[in-house]
Amino acid sequence: MQFNRRPWRGKLMLSLAILAGVTLLGCATGVQPRGWSGGTVRDGSLLLGSMEGKLVALDISQGAILWEVPFEAAATPGGGFGCARPSAPVAIYSTPAVAGDLVYVTTYSGKVYAINAETGALRWVYPREGALRPLVGALTASQDRVYFGTSGGEVYALNAATGDRVWVAPVEGRVWSTPAVYGDTLYVGSFDKKLYALSAADGKKKWEFDTDGAIASSPLVYGDTVYVGSFDRHLYAIDASGGGLKWKFPAGNWFWATPVAYGDAIYAGNLDNKVYILNARSGGKLAEPIDLGSPIASSPALIDGRVVFATEAGKIYALDTATNRVDELRDVKEKVHAPLAGGQGVAYVHTMKDTVYAVNADTGAVREFRIKSR
Amino acid sequence: MGAIWDLVIMKPLINVLIVLSHYLFGSFGLAIIALTIVINLLMYPLTVKQLRATKSMQALQPKLAELQKKYAKDRARLAQEQMSLYRESGVSPAGCILPMLLQMPVWIALFYSIMKLLGVTPEDFLGLSQYLYSWPIVYTLLPLGNNFLWLNLATGDFVLAILVGGTMWLQQKMTTMSGTDPRQQSMNRMMQWMMPLMFAFLTLQFPSGLALYWVTSNVIRIVMQYFATGWGGLVPSPTGRPAGGKDKKYLKRIAQVEQVPSPPSGGSSVAETGPAPEEVAHGASGGTSQDSRRSYPEGARPIRRGPRRGKGHRDKRR
Repeated sequence: MQFNRRPWRGKLMLSLAILAGVTLLGCATGVQPRGWSGGTVRDGSLLLGSMEGKLVALDISQGAILWEVPFEAAATPGGGFGCARPSAPVAIYSTPAVAGDLVYVTTYSGKVYAINAETGALRWVYPREGALRPLVGALTASQDRVYFGTSGGEVYALNAATGDRVWVAPVEGRVWSTPAVYGDTLYVGSFDKKLYALSAADGKKKWEFDTDGAIASSPLVYGDTVYVGSFDRHLYAIDASGGGLKWKFPAGNWFWATPVAYGDAIYAGNLDNKVYILNARSGGKLAEPIDLGSPIASSPALIDGRVVFATEAGKIYALDTATNRVDELRDVKEKVHAPLAGGQGVAYVHTMKDTVYAVNADTGAVREFRIKSR
Repeated sequence: MGAIWDLVIMKPLINVLIVLSHYLFGSFGLAIIALTIVINLLMYPLTVKQLRATKSMQALQPKLAELQKKYAKDRARLAQEQMSLYRESGVSPAGCILPMLLQMPVWIALFYSIMKLLGVTPEDFLGLSQYLYSWPIVYTLLPLGNNFLWLNLATGDFVLAILVGGTMWLQQKMTTMSGTDPRQQSMNRMMQWMMPLMFAFLTLQFPSGLALYWVTSNVIRIVMQYFATGWGGLVPSPTGRPAGGKDKKYLKRIAQVEQVPSPPSGGSSVAETGPAPEEVAHGASGGTSQDSRRSYPEGARPIRRGPRRGKGHRDKRR
């Protein structure tokens, strides 16, 4: 029996094992952001950000990629030693926003791009030099401007045609949500636990509303009310003009996904695996919460009177708004975080494996599109 | 397995870090330091055991060298004799590495916790929601601030890299096991530099929060080690051999094991076991061996453990 003939060898091997273990941490933990861009349907094509850092236009009928625009590679932000590449694909968390002939998208590397939706040609990039802090939320296009928030706690308004800055307004925390515009007011949630109402014209603060948790969920403006979920596990209904609380509803975990409104009801998915169906005016429950068995991080899509939800585990459900009955449409067995897109009776689900599933909201029939380069 | 890991390690760690942050002025950096201290205190018995085991291994080096020389052509016998030596001396090579092994899950769990708590990437932060207890304090405090002193705890830091490398070098130097085998000495020298350099480099790559754990842990271990075994290889002896002041107590025991008549205090002696003079050439003072056993293989003597009274080894035989 050869037992520890050279003790220093054991120590060496252990040290190397520890080193290898620590090194591999960077490979195994997703240190590098990957992105979870949702899709936007436009004239028979689906526009979305891929996990390879490209804006892709997908022909829905043919399943072919019409064009793709690769964004400049980002420096590795940290971690990944041993498996790190000199540069990593840009992570795209935002769902592309379309206005006119342009499609707008933000990247985690701190850039905003405006691209011709027909050809994929770059129209402008902001900022032209350098980069902003990481951008997670999408842009909102309204009239001749686009609005977005940064991880540095700033809200920007840019000229939609030229990319020139119109105004910038500071808030006190990261902005990961997508701003909502209604009339002349911009509503934006922040990690500083506040919902801000800013003047769309000049960015001046109209009011702010305090919650007890950070806000990553994008606000929904419906009628005269702003609905927004918070990390304090409540969904808030706030008066859109004055900022007063109308009601709040407690759930079991964070509200990450943006709710959907239809008729008198609000449909809100929560990370406690449940869908809450609430009266939009009173906040009362219209039906018992529906447990989908996995966290709901992906914002649902309203398609022909059905609200389509995707769970993190990859199950796709359709909730009939008339009966509040839920049917499982499909189990794609891939993790889903991206917001769903809807168009012509179909829900588009972009999974974390960079695959798009087009799921018929009525029959559950599925078409599969591989976005990842072969 | 993953569920057990989350339930037993990750969830408590994440929630404790959040609560600690709350009570430590909202500072995540202070929470990491406090947690590091707690973890090291919990592991104190094992750490001391490791330090003693390392020292014991060091003391056995001359005898191991002697055995290697004697049974150079009979590997099986050599292994047998080495095992006998370890057994009779009460030394377990595993005792040197167990605490290090136990720290690995802590490192891994802390790494994941920091990544999730700081929201280094949106994916990490989204995943955090599944690790939280339903305590209101936990939900309202997130995300934790990532600034501490000059550090952004979510990114690497050059100064912290130097601190990690420096403290690790100090700690390595204190524990470096001198030996008679030139390959071992060469390997020790390499390890002494390689590990700190590698960890310093890793510090630049990983979030500073994890490096804060490393540097705090290193400092604590240096302090523990000082009180347990002295400066070790950090302070050269007057003869040029590495030996700290506190080592003299321990080396006296080594001398007893070697049954070398001790010179007056502060002097040095040359071990009669020949090939490993550096192991016994440190200043040993006072006393002759009280060990009356004579039946061990040549050169192999049991090490008697001194009474343990808190700060490591103390020799009453003055």
